[in-house]
Amino acid sequence: MAAAPFTLAGFRRGLRDGLPLGLSIFAYGLGFGLVAAQAGFGIARAVTTSAAIYSGSAQLAAVNLLQSGQATLWALFATILVVNARYILFGAALQPWLWQAGPLRAYGSLLLLGDANWMQTMRAIRAGEEDRAYLAGTGTPMLAGWLSGTALGAGTVGLLPRPEVMGLDLMLAAFAAAMAAAMVRARADLVPIAAGAGAALAVAPSLGPGAAIIGAGLAGGAVAALMHRNAA
Amino acid sequence: MSHDFPTLLLVMAAAAFFCRAAGFTLMRLVPVSARIEAALRATPLAVMSGIAALAVQSGGLAEGVALAAVVGLTVLIGSDVAAALLGVVLVALLRWAGL
Repeated sequence: MAAAPFTLAGFRRGLRDGLPLGLSIFAYGLGFGLVAAQAGFGIARAVTTSAAIYSGSAQLAAVNLLQSGQATLWALFATILVVNARYILFGAALQPWLWQAGPLRAYGSLLLLGDANWMQTMRAIRAGEEDRAYLAGTGTPMLAGWLSGTALGAGTVGLLPRPEVMGLDLMLAAFAAAMAAAMVRARADLVPIAAGAGAALAVAPSLGPGAAIIGAGLAGGAVAALMHRNAA
Repeated sequence: MSHDFPTLLLVMAAAAFFCRAAGFTLMRLVPVSARIEAALRATPLAVMSGIAALAVQSGGLAEGVALAAVVGLTVLIGSDVAAALLGVVLVALLRWAGL
């Protein structure tokens, strides 16, 4: 099979579309930096943690565990695995498109995979994006925003207003709602939306938000698969 | 904690990368039928609405009003980025007003 395009132009397109996402992730990074500093992490440790894990929810869980003094290596590994299990679904959804870039480029791009740029890239794929460098392009400003936000948050703990005061904790949800609204093309698109919201609300109270996101994705995929059989 | 920080960092990085790579790798073994592709294409919409629904569930009226406004603004002005940023400003104002 011929390799799919992986060009600077596609990377730049992703970069441009990822800039607002990077700004929103910057705000999340501030939040994590504040928490990490309060847990006794200096700037260097906070930033290297952000670079190594690159996932806000998993990092908060890991910092909590490390603070408890009960952190075995297995417990740490398992915690991140559970909190980040949604990425297994995200990677699966990207696979039919991304693998055509070849293994090195694909796995390299997956290092830059986050919630927001996964949504952005899936949307671009649906709109016909062919260039596989798009994903890494969207991920680059996000990683930059995440690391600089972490550094600033850890360095200025106590000086900045809390992110919630500025509404920044709602940023990911706001982007999610906006992207979903922009992606709806047909009435049939409302079915996975309803299934996703319903599953998330049903799962969250007992199993937490990480499992709720996985539940939402699986429910949406399941109803789409069922509808596809009916249409065929 | 008995382990040094670089070891902890390595374990955390390995777990995070495992999650990013596992679904992608597993899907290489699964033949992607049209139905599976339809399911994979529907997951982003479901995840997006799930994230928004959770924000309303854990927040409240201010979050619900702001996210409803985001959906309306996206359709109205045709820019999802502008709509999302306006939604963040709106929720900050609503919280400031005590909603």
